[in-house]
Amino acid sequence: MDSGTVLHALNLAYELATLALTTLGLAIVFGLLGVMNMAHGEFVMMGAYAAVTVQQWGLPLITAVPLAVVVCGGLGYAVERWLIRPLYARPFDTLLATWALAMLLRKLVEAIFGRGYRNVESALTQPTLVLGSPYPVYRLALIVFTLAVMAGLFFWYRQSAAGLRVRAMTANPILAQALGIPTRRLASQAFVIGVVLAGLSGVLLAPLIRIEPGIGVDYLLDAFFVLVGGLGTLGGLFGGVGIIGGAQAITSSIAGQTSGYAVVLMISIVFLWLKPDGLFSRR
Amino acid sequence: MAFFRDAKPAAALAAVLAGLPWASNDFTAYQIALFLVYGMAAQGVALCWGRLGFLSLGHALFFGLGAYLSGGVLRAASNEALWYLLLPLAIAAPALLAYLIARVVFARSTRSGPYFSLITLALTMLGFLAAQQWSGLTGGFNGMADIPELPGTSRYETLYWVIAACAVGSTLALSLLVARPIGVVWEAIAQNEDRLQLLGYATDRIKAMAFAGSALLTSLAGALFAAHQGIVTPQAMGFVLSTELVIWAAVGGKASALGPLLGATIVGYASAELREQLPYWEAAVATLFIGVVLFLPDGVAGLMRRGQAPRRASAGQAKPVRRPFAPAASLALAEVQTGQAGVRILDGLSLGLQGPGIRCIIGPNGAGKTSMFNLITGRLPLRGGNIRLNGHDIGGQPAWRVARQGIGRKMQVPSVFPALSVRENLGLALWAGRAHGTDLLCLATLGWQTPLLTDILGQFQALSEHLDNPAGNLAQGHRQALELAMTLLPEPGIVLLDEPCAGLSPAETHHMIQAIQSLVLRIGAAALLIEHDMSAVDALGGEVYVLHQGRLLEQGPLAQIQASPAVRAIYAGGRK
Repeated sequence: MDSGTVLHALNLAYELATLALTTLGLAIVFGLLGVMNMAHGEFVMMGAYAAVTVQQWGLPLITAVPLAVVVCGGLGYAVERWLIRPLYARPFDTLLATWALAMLLRKLVEAIFGRGYRNVESALTQPTLVLGSPYPVYRLALIVFTLAVMAGLFFWYRQSAAGLRVRAMTANPILAQALGIPTRRLASQAFVIGVVLAGLSGVLLAPLIRIEPGIGVDYLLDAFFVLVGGLGTLGGLFGGVGIIGGAQAITSSIAGQTSGYAVVLMISIVFLWLKPDGLFSRR
Repeated sequence: MAFFRDAKPAAALAAVLAGLPWASNDFTAYQIALFLVYGMAAQGVALCWGRLGFLSLGHALFFGLGAYLSGGVLRAASNEALWYLLLPLAIAAPALLAYLIARVVFARSTRSGPYFSLITLALTMLGFLAAQQWSGLTGGFNGMADIPELPGTSRYETLYWVIAACAVGSTLALSLLVARPIGVVWEAIAQNEDRLQLLGYATDRIKAMAFAGSALLTSLAGALFAAHQGIVTPQAMGFVLSTELVIWAAVGGKASALGPLLGATIVGYASAELREQLPYWEAAVATLFIGVVLFLPDGVAGLMRRGQAPRRASAGQAKPVRRPFAPAASLALAEVQTGQAGVRILDGLSLGLQGPGIRCIIGPNGAGKTSMFNLITGRLPLRGGNIRLNGHDIGGQPAWRVARQGIGRKMQVPSVFPALSVRENLGLALWAGRAHGTDLLCLATLGWQTPLLTDILGQFQALSEHLDNPAGNLAQGHRQALELAMTLLPEPGIVLLDEPCAGLSPAETHHMIQAIQSLVLRIGAAALLIEHDMSAVDALGGEVYVLHQGRLLEQGPLAQIQASPAVRAIYAGGRK
């Protein structure tokens, strides 16, 4: 294998990994609770700003992880309790309320940190040799980490008792409640886990991207369009990541970033139109 | 007069806007005009969202298209005046696009859920990219600049009056429309689209028309924007503007004609003034928006409105109404099969009926009784066999088409339009199949009568007593009566009644059976009635069909059915 092919393959894997990582949290919230969390991207953005903050304080990057967990987790709990819970039966209203929340978070971060671009330095950005091609260690670590998180979640969801309760809640919330499953607490936990994952993905991506308060929208849309394919099923998530991420990466490398983005939008429109129940639904 | 009552909001707006330039100055009026333009676009969003119940996140697309197209036409017209003729076309083209989008999307799935919103959102973002990329046409990132003024106006003085007139006009048009039968139909779509389809309304087309109308209004606003600003940038087509239109509509009041204008002018103007001075201003707007979503579903206008006045027919002779369908139809199911999610529900069911009269269908739970009705009315896919109505194949047609050919259906759980008055519920059934052309735009249609309606109101006193109350407040028995009335009012040739006596007391059951008998006889329909109560089946008389495991098991008079060993075996358990 020549080094060009290896590089392309690694880049594709990296693109797909970041897409999967930022989508995972939204997939949990949407797949389990049916909530279209329009503020998802803002939680990713806040994770990235957690990294900016610890860098300002002169702490190592790893300390951004607990900071992001605490901030996103606490905020996620409050949002689920006081914003989402009263609106579970009203899908448009949850969409709008979380949208307003997204604006609020964006403007608050803008007011605190300013509009300018920020960068986060990482010690791991040096390249290493993979099959003869130099590739940044940090990116490799990200790919491995994403695979590990997805595998872990998959086994937890399929094998553990808690996963079974969650699946019961998703399939039939009222019956699950009647069986003594605390669906309210479970829903709250699922939401918190979803946004904490979003925050963590923000921390992880921070050294690789230019950070500004408006980045959330891009992650949100990509994530949504991935979800369109799967609607919460893991197979659908992989399919969506593959199709959307693959098409974007390939088109971008041939015809530029804007075309890649346009292709993603077009694929999403076609998905939403032809397969409103998800790519892998049985309906 | 109804016209003057409905025109009140527009008249109030006209008075305020006429006084504004004197109360302040020309420059303030110029600034306010921009937010009136945005307000008209928000009125477009509110029409779909507040009336028909589907949210468009993509109205900026139509706003931007209207702005770019009219901007281009105005620029071309400054050299060659003939181009002015194309201005109406420039405003209408985005509406046509909207119609096509909505038809294509809703034909696939009429559900108005968040998917439609996401599609419109993605379309807007695509439009934004296109506006940035095709710089030869649009001027790209820097925008299409130097757009000349509308002929005969000056940008900083007289254009205000054009915009104010358009805003008053759009408010008047919206107020008049929602007070008419078409407004009832729109609200019915938001409340219970399935029921409306069963009455024979092609809801996907009605929604596409409304979407096109709202896009037309938004595109007109875009054209005014181009004339007002003199420059159109890709932001006029962007995600952010779409967001703001939705926020203004929500804060002002999505279910009111004036609300979105109020929202845009107050929130928008205040934002423009205060954004620079208060660093947390936009966070405050977002918080306000959250509060509105949580606590004020009808926005500020909802606070001001105290109990909406009911719609009233204009005085005058009600139009004599013809009977839409031929009576004494025949219906034949041959070897039909259907299933869902891999489960086979109907498995080669054959069943036929001809001529007027009532037949009952019985069978144990899961026999496929309701599924048979679902299949006939296009709710379940036809996987084999065929369904013929008067000899014509109707298998696999959508619900509204089946209804238009003369099949009426009553649901098992009474399905009405809860927030509409009983009168409006009955009206929707009466107009189905009878309203043509501009009937739905005429106030007189609200007063339509048929002898059957008089008869029904005579038989069900409760309905005539509650004519102006919301149908959702009716007791279960009265709701059953209302849905029966709605099923029969179009005077269909075939009537499918799914457990019309469910949840009724013995006295109510007795009354209901008598009413069904006399009303079905009166319209000369062939009725199929699902019933579990054998005494009710006995009282209804006529043939009895027994369904079991997706097939017809037995057919004949009740006495013969009761004597049948096969029927006894499935009900009481038995061995061969």
